[in-house]
Amino acid sequence: MHQLLTLGSQLPTAAGPCTIERFLGGGGQGEVYQVSVASQPPSALKWYFPQQATADQRQALQTLIRKGPPGPGFLWPLELIEAPQTPGFGYLMPLREPRFHGIVDLMKRRIEPDFRALTLAGLHLSQAFLALHAKGLCYRDISFGNVFLDPDSGAIAICDNDNVTIDGSDPGGILGTPRFIAPEVVRGEARPGTQTDLFSLAVLLFYLFHIHHPLEGRQEAEIKCFDLPAMTRLYGTDPCFIFDPADDRNRPVPGLHDNAIAHWGIYPEFLREHFTRGFTSGLRDPQARIRESEWRLALARLLDGIHYCGQCGAENFHDPAAGSAGTCWSCGQPLRLPWRLRLADALGGAPSRYPVLLNHDTRLYAHHLDPDRRYDFVTPLAEVNRHPSDPNRWGLKNLGPDKWVITGADGQLRDVEPGRSAGLVSGLRIDFGPLRGVLEG
Amino acid sequence: MPKRPGSELASRPLHFIWIADCSGSMSVDGKIQSLNTAIREALPHMRAVADENPNAEVLVRAVAFASSAHWHVSQPLRVADFQWTDLQTEGLTAMGEALNLVAQQLRMPPMTDRALPPVLVLISDGQPTDDFAAGLDALMREPWGKKAVRVAIAIGEDADHEPLQRFIGHPELQPLQANNPEALVRHIKWVSTAVLKSASSPASQAAGLPAGLNVPIPTPTAGPSSAADVW
Repeated sequence: MHQLLTLGSQLPTAAGPCTIERFLGGGGQGEVYQVSVASQPPSALKWYFPQQATADQRQALQTLIRKGPPGPGFLWPLELIEAPQTPGFGYLMPLREPRFHGIVDLMKRRIEPDFRALTLAGLHLSQAFLALHAKGLCYRDISFGNVFLDPDSGAIAICDNDNVTIDGSDPGGILGTPRFIAPEVVRGEARPGTQTDLFSLAVLLFYLFHIHHPLEGRQEAEIKCFDLPAMTRLYGTDPCFIFDPADDRNRPVPGLHDNAIAHWGIYPEFLREHFTRGFTSGLRDPQARIRESEWRLALARLLDGIHYCGQCGAENFHDPAAGSAGTCWSCGQPLRLPWRLRLADALGGAPSRYPVLLNHDTRLYAHHLDPDRRYDFVTPLAEVNRHPSDPNRWGLKNLGPDKWVITGADGQLRDVEPGRSAGLVSGLRIDFGPLRGVLEG
Repeated sequence: MPKRPGSELASRPLHFIWIADCSGSMSVDGKIQSLNTAIREALPHMRAVADENPNAEVLVRAVAFASSAHWHVSQPLRVADFQWTDLQTEGLTAMGEALNLVAQQLRMPPMTDRALPPVLVLISDGQPTDDFAAGLDALMREPWGKKAVRVAIAIGEDADHEPLQRFIGHPELQPLQANNPEALVRHIKWVSTAVLKSASSPASQAAGLPAGLNVPIPTPTAGPSSAADVW
């Protein structure tokens, strides 16, 4: 039931006429169509409802197009489209690939990414919003509807970028989506901006990792009719984190908030501390919110700490602050940690408190081994493998272009050329070139 | 083996109740057929909205009223399972009794003590022939009746707006006027999508809500004018 453009009709673009092929969906602002220009792969075209096709919107789009996408992961406006016979305007953007699913699918458990993909998705989201904010822009409506993820790889796609504005520039416009809006905006004391984006991002990350809202505990349970006044109280005038260590009046209620209870304890202390800080001091003081770079660092560490239960195979998280390996969240059996590689945090630095756990399928990326390429999870430089003739011997294979130098327990130095592997032995020191690491087992 | 613990996001029930006029006058000019068609047309869109909302479990029922009122669909059905059976017309306009029936079901129990605001949609082409005020009073005595999002659709120009307006109970929201089948389809679709969405989980909010509303009701989309009056 679309109404703005006729299927099969054409509109002019810089690359030639584009054909309106398919209606993809409609929202409050306009309608989105699949279009294609000549032999190029199809793109998406958003066309505004007449009342939304304002001069301000047009101006905002032009700014966004001129600035260009902040990074990968954004389905960013590419070109403003107008046509003499068609009222209003629209813009071209990349088409969302079918591998991307909405967060609603994650919430309804229609997709079931593993923890690795989920953590990567969180990391990519933090990275994307860091890049957006670094450009002086703010998103203003981080929520379920605008973010998509690939459950297999953890790649993300951020849509609806036409609401992005220069931080602090827009006196009107949208306030965001309830449940994601920062308390000071709910109370009417502030306008959406970078600081309120940080709150929305923290909510989205909490949802991703708990399938639950961070402020919905006993206070939510006691609300009968969940309407706007109730939401204003819960998310605006009297917000309280469900795991606030200093305030237990809003703890999750068994039977109603089981997801929060089931997830919270399985994450390491450093991640829980981030959520706690974000939803206690960060609830009241926008300056105290967790920055994207902090989320990014914490989620990279979380990723490194994933290991598998030897009994049931479930992914578990290593907690460097815990005295023991603990028990598996899935089968309850005691966990045994695999080999751990402690890399220096920086050139010449001391070994990190947060080891990389070496599972049978672990790969180390430029992120791990090259301080100049932090958060590059694309280029693998090492991977765990088995000895070709003795499957009980594990090694770390050099996938990079440069040789490593290892120091064994006997103090002997050996070279590990590209394509060769270093056998995993406790106490082994590996000089990867830019960084050094030491193996624990 | 599950990859991650827990289950799907906790949701609350959202009761959506059609309250449809089946009086004799609805048989004139194919009005009841249009209403049956409009609700059928709206169902897939309603399902899509429900599907995209993890915070609500949408449950649908229907009351029909003519010389008396009865539950046309008595069990609250998940919108995915809801099927529309055609309404038949006869007799008078027992609108008050219809509201009474709804009031009884909004009492706790049978209502649960935790829910989203119910959505009540009253559709009529005439004026009540019974004690409308008593029915409305009964409804408004129930906390869930008071908290409900109440929307009304007036079919044709003979529809009496006054009781519909009293049902809505908010000066800034007026009954939706449907003077032709296209407008009816549009209004029915609007209540079963936009209003449903607002009651369950409001979408991106623009600044400035009318005072006194407990649910932000979006503005109905403007459609073509009712030039082709059928009724």
